Amino acid sequence: MTKPPSELIPASRCTRCGRVVAPPTSYCPDHPVAMEPLSIEGYGEVVSFTTLHSPPEGFSSPLHLALVGLDGGARLFCHGAETKGLRVGSRVAVEEVDQVYYFSHLGVMDRARLFWRRAGDLEETVTAIVKSAVKRVWRRGGGEKV
Amino acid sequence: MTRFGKRQESLPDLVAEAARSALSAARLEAPDAIVVAAMNPEEFIGEGNFASQIATHLGFAHVPALRVETATSSGAAAVYTGFASVAAGLSRSVLVVGGEKMTHLPTPRVSELIGRSIDPHERSYGATMPALAGLITRALMAKTGVTLKEISQVAVKNHANGARNPYAHFRDPVSLDAVLESRIVADPLRLYHCCPISDGAAALVLTAEPAPVRIAGIGQGADTLAVRYRESLVSFRATQAAAKAAYRMAGFGPERVEVAEVHDAFAPFELIALEDLGLVPSGKAGRATLAGETAIDGRLPINPSGGLKARGHPLAGTGIAQIAEVFWQLLGEAHGHQVAARVGLAHSIGGLATNNWVTVLERTR
Repeated sequence: MTKPPSELIPASRCTRCGRVVAPPTSYCPDHPVAMEPLSIEGYGEVVSFTTLHSPPEGFSSPLHLALVGLDGGARLFCHGAETKGLRVGSRVAVEEVDQVYYFSHLGVMDRARLFWRRAGDLEETVTAIVKSAVKRVWRRGGGEKV
Repeated sequence: MTRFGKRQESLPDLVAEAARSALSAARLEAPDAIVVAAMNPEEFIGEGNFASQIATHLGFAHVPALRVETATSSGAAAVYTGFASVAAGLSRSVLVVGGEKMTHLPTPRVSELIGRSIDPHERSYGATMPALAGLITRALMAKTGVTLKEISQVAVKNHANGARNPYAHFRDPVSLDAVLESRIVADPLRLYHCCPISDGAAALVLTAEPAPVRIAGIGQGADTLAVRYRESLVSFRATQAAAKAAYRMAGFGPERVEVAEVHDAFAPFELIALEDLGLVPSGKAGRATLAGETAIDGRLPINPSGGLKARGHPLAGTGIAQIAEVFWQLLGEAHGHQVAARVGLAHSIGGLATNNWVTVLERTR
């Protein structure tokens, strides 16, 4: 199996109920059947989010944490540089950096680009634009107070 | 039950205090069996083989003892185990006792130990119990329109009740403003929305003999360890399943429940529980609380003891304390915070609602 492109999130799907979980697991949480691996796109909606001002040891404060419902079905815990303007239901992009998933709030322009990407146009270009936007946002926050 | 709070005594001594008072109230010298609940004595106090240690400490080294653990609902699980033993005819009487001792450790260490009941992947992102409760609170507010004021009223009510309970950790009322202005723990959850770290123990005796109160129904419900695997953040499948099983065994539903002790480790959890248990119609828990329906003098008193918020939460002690509290309410022995009830319910959450219990008690005469 080849390594999936970095903007894809490795996940797994239950062959009985179709449930998708990420990161991938061997078995479905609700069925004793083997899961099949798949990759899903790193876009989705914020299910909920919080900010911890006294996070556990090893995490810098404030710690922005979001649960993101990916369009491909799985829900994923993500860190973020900030939660300003974020709402339950906000569209976000998710990307892995150093084995940690980060969410970035997608603005109107990003959403428009994604719409066109879905329409089948400019896929490569748009992926690059969104990816660089994601990286810019989290790097700006990267461990420091924003 | 011992007084909950910061206690100087060792856990075995607290457990013995609770056990002796339960045995003496039941006029029983020695039980046929002992079920011990302790969530994590290995880490909190450095003790193992804890059931045998407690049995010996109580002077019951010859009585068969075992330990039960389902995270923060261990106490309720121990009651279930004792109930099953009596119901199966394996024992005529069972002493169920449990507790925890935590206040001697620094708060971050206690949080870390309790947080080990969270899915390891989610923990690797810094998810703690308050963090997950914060996520649930925000989702609840966004999905159901519950307000922070309604959530905060749970804490105000439970503190007011705790002020009347001699066993409670907190005996001071708090104002709505004080709750709303307390420091943010996991946005939007504030300090006064969270239960304290408490020491304490609770015990009860289950018997096959006729008794003034019976366990009419008891049920367990389960859910995924990982919160990200759940379809809904605003209700707990484990509570719904436990309630369904308990009501089925009882042969009646929430309509006969007149008082309840529910697991308000975080204030919004009480609102979620009220709806999951069928005690309040869906979407009405916040308004019912703000309207005083769940106050000690309301239509349906919830947590007259002060709940986990004010009575305190010595983990494995809590599930037993809740059932003891309902027992006292039905018997008319809840001094200082008595309500009128023939049927009561206790609801306990294990972990982040992965292993929940509902117990329905009924006065028999």
